[in-house]
Amino acid sequence: MEEKTMIITPSRCTACRTCELACSFQHSVNGKPGIPRIRALMIAENDGHVLTCFQCDDAACVKVCPVEALGRNDDTAAIEVNADRCIGCGLCSIACPFGHISHETHGNIAVKCNLCQGRPACVTFCPTKTLEYK
Amino acid sequence: MSEKTINLEINGRFFQAAEGQTVLDVARREGIEIPTLCHHDALEPFGACRICLVEITHKNWKGWSGLVTACLYPVEEGLQVTTENAEIAKARRTMLDLLLARCPGSDKIRRLAAAQGVTKTSFKKAAHPTTCILCGLCVRVCAVKGANAIDTSGRGIGKKIAIPFRQPPPDCIGCASCAHICPTDTIRCEDTGTGRKIWGHSFEMVACEACGKPILPRKQMEFEAARSKLDESYFSVCADCSQAKTFKTIGTAFDMEGVQ
Repeated sequence: MEEKTMIITPSRCTACRTCELACSFQHSVNGKPGIPRIRALMIAENDGHVLTCFQCDDAACVKVCPVEALGRNDDTAAIEVNADRCIGCGLCSIACPFGHISHETHGNIAVKCNLCQGRPACVTFCPTKTLEYK
Repeated sequence: MSEKTINLEINGRFFQAAEGQTVLDVARREGIEIPTLCHHDALEPFGACRICLVEITHKNWKGWSGLVTACLYPVEEGLQVTTENAEIAKARRTMLDLLLARCPGSDKIRRLAAAQGVTKTSFKKAAHPTTCILCGLCVRVCAVKGANAIDTSGRGIGKKIAIPFRQPPPDCIGCASCAHICPTDTIRCEDTGTGRKIWGHSFEMVACEACGKPILPRKQMEFEAARSKLDESYFSVCADCSQAKTFKTIGTAFDMEGVQ
């Protein structure tokens, strides 16, 4: 697969949070919307910003995981959580310097952006083209 | 692929597996349901609960067949596995019946047993009922974290999850992974505002530099920093504050860009 990257242009973001909604629905389990892996925030008047996992090269979450539940998907270059291996210790969310990992309320399993296996829903639904994947 | 491929049969369907995989690995991969209680993908298989029993046979075994735990049994060439039949169901029901006699107070065991049609134990109830099912998940998660603070002691009906010499274990780092993974909530972890009480220890918590919320015990922070070779500063801010900080940093960076 050709290498693609998530490109964020904050100057276009209106913090409408459509990306959060799209993410929630994309990651819903048994009909329940999931925790969004992307966050949009109006940090000042007319100054929206959107943040999601940077998929770091030398990622702290991968280093700190005691059970190798986090690993890179070679096709998308995204770091993904293997939910069956995760023991819910919460170290990855503490260690991430950017706060991009949260935990499911049930079972405490780590959740993070996996770029939707190469078809990110947030990008599809972003109305202002703040989010691009190319 | 230098690994040897092994052909086996599960419920009359043919599958291929790599050497060293277990029957459960293959069944899970192919979407064949085998119930488990003490299995976790990240931990060493243990074979404690016997709920994952399956029947195996082989064309060279002259009609011999037997019940084995799917989580421990390695695949072999020509193995024929059955995951559901009357004998397996009876064995599983007996295991749940025994667990029900041991843990009459555990909701999880009651629900599991009821799902298999066991609502009342046919054995004598335990003299000292407990909710611990001796699945060993806590012991194995402690080992995989590298702390090795707790283990099982005794054998047979005297077996239990124990701490060395009944004293607060010196190797415990207070991560509470044992309490999180315990399927019946037997292991107690008490989080107060500034401390954490577990296994008779009282741990001092590291407070988030930004909001003051307790993050993890100081002993665990030192342990994890050494293990992962990350600086201790990685563990000093909570996830929410890290995200707020990132938003702030990015906001400032782009404002500066605007000025230029």
